[in-house]
Amino acid sequence: MSSVRPRRWLRRGAGRFPAVVVVATLMFLYVPVIVVAYLSLSPTGQPTIPLESLSLRWYGEVAADRRFVRALLTSFGIAAVAAPGGTVLGLAGAYAVTRSALSGRIKGVIATVIALPLFVPTVVLAFGIGLTGNYLDVGYGYGPVVLGHLFWVLPFTTFLLSARYAEIDEQLSAAAMDLGADTRTAFLTVTLPLLRPALAASLLFAFALSFNEFLITFFLAGSGVTTVPLEIFGKVRVGATAFLNAASVLVLLVSAAAAGVGSALREPA
Amino acid sequence: MSTADDDAGAGPPAGVSRLVRDGVVASGPIGLAVLLGIVPIVVLFVESLGPGLGLGNYAEATRPLYRGVLSYSLRMGIAVTAVCLTVSYPVTYWLAHRCPARYRLPTLVALTLPLWLNYVVLNYAWVWVLARGGVLNELLVGVGAVAGPLDLLYTDLSVFVGFVYIYLPYVVLVMYVSMERLDYRLLEAARDLGATNTRVFLDVVLPRTLPGAAAATLIVYARIAGAYATPEILGGPGEVMIASLVTAAFREYINFGFGAALSFVFLSIVVAGLLLGAAFPRVREELARQ
Repeated sequence: MSSVRPRRWLRRGAGRFPAVVVVATLMFLYVPVIVVAYLSLSPTGQPTIPLESLSLRWYGEVAADRRFVRALLTSFGIAAVAAPGGTVLGLAGAYAVTRSALSGRIKGVIATVIALPLFVPTVVLAFGIGLTGNYLDVGYGYGPVVLGHLFWVLPFTTFLLSARYAEIDEQLSAAAMDLGADTRTAFLTVTLPLLRPALAASLLFAFALSFNEFLITFFLAGSGVTTVPLEIFGKVRVGATAFLNAASVLVLLVSAAAAGVGSALREPA
Repeated sequence: MSTADDDAGAGPPAGVSRLVRDGVVASGPIGLAVLLGIVPIVVLFVESLGPGLGLGNYAEATRPLYRGVLSYSLRMGIAVTAVCLTVSYPVTYWLAHRCPARYRLPTLVALTLPLWLNYVVLNYAWVWVLARGGVLNELLVGVGAVAGPLDLLYTDLSVFVGFVYIYLPYVVLVMYVSMERLDYRLLEAARDLGATNTRVFLDVVLPRTLPGAAAATLIVYARIAGAYATPEILGGPGEVMIASLVTAAFREYINFGFGAALSFVFLSIVVAGLLLGAAFPRVREELARQ
């Protein structure tokens, strides 16, 4: 009998093992972020652990820093084009790979071409795009960066929307047209409203993707365009500071807010 | 039913006009994907053969020095992926089969939210954890576990940890999809028949989730091997990774042909891996799911 007890204990231990790993994983994921948030409250430029006192001074410095504010506005501006643009293109892509009259083979090819950035290493793509821009003599700057961001968000918006498209009953728009609606009216009054939550989620996710995008921008930006990730990357290589911590927290809040609202919209209540 | 979506009558035969219209709709996303996806790869290939259609760039790119860089990058990718999978198995198993239903979605969101956060910032956070005056060293010295602060930052180890940090949520997400489709009744049946935890894992869980794990590996290891920000932020002066070479070829040396050949060697390895995976129908299915 006595040998049963340790074995049962072992079995129960093994039963709890996955839950323990989940807790450890969550700590692993969030402790570094919490550390940076804590160290953004340093009263001095070079935080020492533990902080002697807490201060919001560096958030003020970040808000007053013209380079950072300009980078933030640049990132918002690019995302404000890339998110709706990428969502419209994604809607067209989602229609093409689900509902369109194109043959199954062609749909498969379209889906593969759109999915390319998910499989081809980003540095290879970014280098190729930069090289192509060089040859076409389009140079660097906002135009190429926006185009690069549209390309980057396209697979995400397309597959998010095609998943929703596939759930919508085709008979609904068929019914609308039996009742006399033309294709346009049926799309605008039946399909589009059903897609609305997915479209909103797509907008927000595309915003977050564009706001965070680093490598393609790095190859296409040239010297005139500095987005937030580029600005932070440049500063990180100089050294870790309380200023950078405060800026990091702001960036994390922006992307977490976009993604958080996006995922709440995608899961219909 | 098939005529339901067609234009109401007027003009050319409805089927043809619908095909034309759908072609026009599809041309936007396809145009973008071809212009920024296909064309650059072709340009890269042409550049790698230049000047004057030769393999000189490839000879340069496959010198032992650069073979070493490629091999280090790929080994890093595979090692990080292995750790991510090892962690993801118990995590997604718990989430899909043990987690109380009302905690499932919040936990999944918490585990995958970092995917949407800025990875430059996420990498930077580890500087404060691993630096000589960072949290971990203060803690270790504070409790007396080590005599003085350890040099953890700017090493292979810090790059490794940074990669696990960035890619773990991705692997968790892919494995969760796989684990969720695993029928829990199979596990119960195996247990009822007397299987131990180890046997349940080896005979039931593993075979049914292996295609998902293979798909996750094929996607993630290549991203890690080709990553730029993590080794730049957390890496030391020692080992160089492939993306740093490609970037330098583009931005500093302006040695396009060499960078293109290097990219193509790397791309060929990645594509070979994907084709190998796609040869297995169940892995192909999982890849298509991504």
